[in-house]
Amino acid sequence: MNHPWTKLSNGSARPTTAPAADSPHASDLAGLLTHEDADRARDRWKVGRARREEGRSKGFGRFLVLWLLVGPGVLVFLGENDAPSMLSYSATGARFGVGFFIPFVVLTFLMGLVVQEMTVRLGAVTHRGHAELIFDRFGKFWGFFSLGDLVLGNFLTLVTEFIGIRAGLGFFGVRPSVAVGVGLLVVFAAITTGRYWTWERITLGLAIFNGLFVPAALLARPDWHQVGHALLTWTPLPHGNSFDILVLLLADIGATVTPWMIFFQQSAVVDKGMQPRDISAGRVDTLLGAVLATIFAIATILATAPLFHHGIDASQFQAAQFAQALRPWIGRAGAALFALGIFEAGIVAAIAISTSSAYAFGEVLGTGHSLNQPMRDAWPFYSILLGSAVAAAALVLIPHAPLEFIVLIVNVVAVLAMPPALAFLVMLVNDRDVMGDAVNGAWANVAAVVVTVLLIVAGLGFGVATVFPHWLSWL
Amino acid sequence: MNPADATPEELGGGAKAGAPDMDDPRAVLSVLEADQIVAAKQGTRFGRRKLSSGERVVLWGLRVYVVIMLVLVVISAFRVIHSAP
Repeated sequence: MNHPWTKLSNGSARPTTAPAADSPHASDLAGLLTHEDADRARDRWKVGRARREEGRSKGFGRFLVLWLLVGPGVLVFLGENDAPSMLSYSATGARFGVGFFIPFVVLTFLMGLVVQEMTVRLGAVTHRGHAELIFDRFGKFWGFFSLGDLVLGNFLTLVTEFIGIRAGLGFFGVRPSVAVGVGLLVVFAAITTGRYWTWERITLGLAIFNGLFVPAALLARPDWHQVGHALLTWTPLPHGNSFDILVLLLADIGATVTPWMIFFQQSAVVDKGMQPRDISAGRVDTLLGAVLATIFAIATILATAPLFHHGIDASQFQAAQFAQALRPWIGRAGAALFALGIFEAGIVAAIAISTSSAYAFGEVLGTGHSLNQPMRDAWPFYSILLGSAVAAAALVLIPHAPLEFIVLIVNVVAVLAMPPALAFLVMLVNDRDVMGDAVNGAWANVAAVVVTVLLIVAGLGFGVATVFPHWLSWL
Repeated sequence: MNPADATPEELGGGAKAGAPDMDDPRAVLSVLEADQIVAAKQGTRFGRRKLSSGERVVLWGLRVYVVIMLVLVVISAFRVIHSAP
């Protein structure tokens, strides 16, 4: 089709914010509308109605607008509080107790917030997913590198989600095959609606159970004075094997900033139909997600801190073993909450990460890539979504599969793959041809560069420690 | 009526009072931006941007960084697994 908009191909693209009805090509477009457009328009109409309500009743109207626009930000942060992340936080609490890592986790979420805010603007202004924009603006060569990082990271992470699902339900005596089957069933059930809005609300409903770590933490009776002291002073500093500390630092960073989050949130913002005027609500959504995820992450550290105080060696613990070991201090109910939390973390992340892979492939292949499309119209999209989940689930059930290896490297790989992903993100969000006036301001660029440099330094520290392990003994 | 002149209120008559019928293209076009329409997006592409030499150096540098670091991660993980009791 020689569509009038092909003039954008010459690189002189400019974002438009006018309704399609005001376009000179409105009558052309009217004959080309799809089921996906109609579903997205329904969601947009509700937002418009809420904005009119906001004009009449500020408090309720504002809440209504926020209620309709909250989603991608909360999902991405609670999705990233996934099984390997909660395992990292558990290991942090069990091995170092309350101290340096509490404010460090807050810092990592601040880094995540800086990154994710940029994806909101990119998605709302361009209406394009991240993979699509990288392929468009940087070409196939860089596009496939970027997609390769995403696919590798996503698959490894998905495997660890199913390990978490298996371990979480395993605490209650559920057989591994049944646990993994339940996980797959939930992923499938979420997408059968053929509607982004319903999928988002179902997944948000599940994601809220990430808060199960809060009662588990309260049952551990944390010393709040010590928590406040740690937050303010970053002490006591961690002691012990320097390489282990370095790996845990990297794992905790990888628990908050990863490439899949960039791809997922931008695509979800597009699928939700957010527009430039929704950017401030998108920022609130992202902030809310970051705050909730920070609270739940710190709760996990506090829940496992009794293991540190009682000198339990947790260096070889897996997810369910933390729950078992905590029973003497947080009781059977607390341990059960902890195990359910690990199960939930795996389920929500499995949904979000498999969707992120499907979005990216759909955008690159040029096939349908929206949860507003029915399965029969976008079968490649849904096939990748379900196929990646099934492959990861199957690997977890294969005897002698290298699961320990995957668990060890997954968050570290996420940190190492992040700087190139951030470079593309920063270049795109500073690209005036793509973003118009919504390009990054000076402070956003400074923050993005600081985050990128921190990630590179952390990665290089890991590299040096691997090649020259004796250097760490000097520290 | 020209679609461009339609508003959701004017396009009422859907299932719920006040809610426009989204099977009517005018209603859809009145709430979505032009480049939000799937067909418009399929027909358009943001063109390739020209990378400066500095940008190329950064992208290649980061690519080499990732490859080297991934090799180190694999080495490190093997060490940990083989040193486990």
